[in-house]
Amino acid sequence: MGGRPLYLEPRLEPRLRSLLAATGTLRSLTDALGSPLHVVVPDQIAENLERFRSVYRRHHLSGQVYYAHKANRSSALLRRLAATDAGVDVASLGELQHALGAGFTADRITATGPKNPEFLWLAALTGVTVSVDGAGELDQLAALVRKHALAPVRVLLRLSGFETSGVKVLSRRSRFGTPVRELDPLLEAVERHGDAVELTGVAYHLDTTSVAEKATALEGALAALEACRSRGLRPRAVDVGGGFGVSYLAEREQWEAYTTALTAAVLGRRPPLTWGGHGYGLRGESGTLRGVLGLYPAHRSVAGAAYLDELLAQPAASLGGRPLAALLLEHLYDLHSEPGRALLDQCGLTLAKVLEVRSQEAGGALLVRLAAKADDIALEDHGVLVDPVVIPGSGAGPGEGPVAVHLFGGLCLETDLITRRTVFLPRRPVPGDLLAFANTAGYAMDFHATRAQHQPVARKVAAWQDGDAWRWCLDDQFWPITPSGGAQ
Amino acid sequence: MRYDSITDAIGNTPLVRIDPAVHGLRNIDLFAKLEMLNPFGSVKDRAAWNMARPLLAEAVEHGSQVVELSSGNTAKALAVVAGMHGLGFKSVTNRMRVPEIKDLLLLLGAQIEELPGQSECLDPTATDDPLTLFHRTLSASGSTYLHTDQYYNPRNTEAHLTGTGPEIVKDLDGRVPDWFVACVGTAGSSTGVARALREEDPSVRVVGLVAAKSDFIPGIRTIDEVQEVGLFDPETYDTMESVSADEAIEGMLTLNRRCGILGGPTGGAAYHGAVRHLRAVDEELTERRTAVFIVCDRVESYLSYVRQRRPDLLGRPPRKNSPADLTDAEVGGAPSVTVAEARRWIDSEGPLVVDLRSPYAYAALHIDGSVNIVDELFAELLQGGVPFSRSRPVLLACPVGEQSARYAALLTRMGHPDVRSLAGGIIAWRDAGAPLVRD
Repeated sequence: MGGRPLYLEPRLEPRLRSLLAATGTLRSLTDALGSPLHVVVPDQIAENLERFRSVYRRHHLSGQVYYAHKANRSSALLRRLAATDAGVDVASLGELQHALGAGFTADRITATGPKNPEFLWLAALTGVTVSVDGAGELDQLAALVRKHALAPVRVLLRLSGFETSGVKVLSRRSRFGTPVRELDPLLEAVERHGDAVELTGVAYHLDTTSVAEKATALEGALAALEACRSRGLRPRAVDVGGGFGVSYLAEREQWEAYTTALTAAVLGRRPPLTWGGHGYGLRGESGTLRGVLGLYPAHRSVAGAAYLDELLAQPAASLGGRPLAALLLEHLYDLHSEPGRALLDQCGLTLAKVLEVRSQEAGGALLVRLAAKADDIALEDHGVLVDPVVIPGSGAGPGEGPVAVHLFGGLCLETDLITRRTVFLPRRPVPGDLLAFANTAGYAMDFHATRAQHQPVARKVAAWQDGDAWRWCLDDQFWPITPSGGAQ
Repeated sequence: MRYDSITDAIGNTPLVRIDPAVHGLRNIDLFAKLEMLNPFGSVKDRAAWNMARPLLAEAVEHGSQVVELSSGNTAKALAVVAGMHGLGFKSVTNRMRVPEIKDLLLLLGAQIEELPGQSECLDPTATDDPLTLFHRTLSASGSTYLHTDQYYNPRNTEAHLTGTGPEIVKDLDGRVPDWFVACVGTAGSSTGVARALREEDPSVRVVGLVAAKSDFIPGIRTIDEVQEVGLFDPETYDTMESVSADEAIEGMLTLNRRCGILGGPTGGAAYHGAVRHLRAVDEELTERRTAVFIVCDRVESYLSYVRQRRPDLLGRPPRKNSPADLTDAEVGGAPSVTVAEARRWIDSEGPLVVDLRSPYAYAALHIDGSVNIVDELFAELLQGGVPFSRSRPVLLACPVGEQSARYAALLTRMGHPDVRSLAGGIIAWRDAGAPLVRD
């Protein structure tokens, strides 16, 4: 197996740890509902929301935390959130209908992303705030409002391309939003459509892990709001989007040891750690490492609410060096945030049954086939490397010591690898065991799932603690008033 | 010593013995090669000058811009060299985490571009990393850049092969040290010096130091990051060891306070790594040996780095009249007024209204007739005493009434007879529908 096993053990908070320990429940769930199976934990999302709220409180900031719906289709999670004071950020007509149906009132919904006319109309009709991508969308929205005699729609202007003075911070290019350089014509359009839209603020969403880039954008957003005010408009909010990150792994040391070993493997200084010597974006060229590691930084010292806290503490150089939180507060602006993945941290897991365990001739890693497709457990699609937890089947005896395995799905495609890397497990799995992939609720459950080959898409259940026991129902059946469950 | 150009002053840096009472090694003489005494302040002066020198005449002719991927010392040296020749300099980096260096580079006329951070959502279709894009920009036809390419340029190593290494041997009266210890950044100095020393005496042992993986030490790479450096060859080093940021700062303090050597954290890391490595072998020795490490730059640029990691080292005496001295009871008992009371009070007695928010927020919207003294400035003013007449009542306002309560308590303690805090602050004022103006 090439040296010591390189474990990447998942970070488990008490709820998921407890659920994983309820092995009887998990086994009977997969026996009844099949493999793969997603289990969501609605109460956790309410707890995560509270962590964000406490950051708001610490800085005396008001404003909304919007759950980015696209990260998970679950009704249970959405309905549980509806029973809190959170908002929801919807990116399609279907998501908007889902949110309204889950009990969110229009003042708690914001519509973002690319929009088709039906989506825009329903948003305008119900009085949802619309995050406008550009002047064209603004024109389209205003025309809808006038044609159907609707009340003026609240809009946020989604901006991009923020620039700094002094040190130029290069930013990843985005297809979305209007470059701040074109703010003036956009504001002229807002004024022109004054009868149909009401500007409530500006928004941005940057796909980066860099706090510095986000701070630059927030500082730029404050400047844009000042430009709005100087025209006599009355904006009162900044939407800073999400991208606050999740720490998937329990141990920093494991992540560091793994990535160092991967580097050595790519340079040929140790046996490969992946199927076919895949380098996750790295490659060796005459002994020098080239390329960039295309993996999610799976262990983070600062993630989620703590990341937002750190962002808010950044000084704004062009505004006297005061922290961004103080500036937001002093300017009387509401702070809106849209954490998707971070709100779903620890909110669910995915179970897959082991169908076959095959030894390779050369004595290499075992081939383990799961009753699942790679797109049902899409951690790998997001570059997240984390070990599954082995849950013994009812009749299975414990295997001997640590083993290296390759995890395959059920499609007849060489690419249907649950993970491209060699996974180390503390013992040899046997058919009938379950592998539990922890923390899949954010983007890894149904963002990529398809019905190719008539293979079923994983079903989903909601689970909650009732004293010492775990109870469950189908995801669709969960409401916060479900007996002994949810918010009661 | 008389020179025609400051670049002539590059090199020939002193080799200074560290007092054995400080390092505690009984059988090893430990020397520091003070590269911080190069004219632009670091070991990188040698490489920058050696890389740029042969290309300058042509660059001047074409008006090229000098560019380099550098977060610090190489950029600094190149910015000066470029400026001396009437050329612009641009540094592209993703790791410039020391604000003083950034400011110094801007002062020297450099342009700085920071590379974007890692994508939060993995994009499997992304084929190009930012560095590849940077190199592609440079090689695009018609571009006029002088790219020194420090991570791949053999002239980086050569500067130390022909300069730093031989200087060490000369200053040790022709002997090669038994150990050479160096931090690895571009690997230029460690590789060049190691090669020069080995040519004289192959028995020299070379210790390469890298930063612990989760740590950041300016100028040093981690064990994975060195693999990205074209000049790095693991064969150069007899051993690679890692140093933590805390250890680097401790080593730096020893150099600064006990040796009079004002080196930065990289020099501190080299000192710490050298002593740690040598202590184990020192016990076994029966004859005298020598070791040399490099102090690559100066401490002055790293004050914010130290402040962030070891604020205790920059402790300052307590200040007078500080809002931090107040007890919770004093703050809780601070006189305050509601928005409605404040409006009546303003109409009847006309208190001085002091808005403690930043000037930008104040300029955007404020209570009519108020003055703006931002809280930081206000705190400084109060150190000298009450900054306005005691005969005039004062209303203090901040965003939510928290800071204003503190200052109201402090001013009361300082003897002001009628100072009150606006309860709920400007936000409560706005929410009550009271007027705010922009003038």
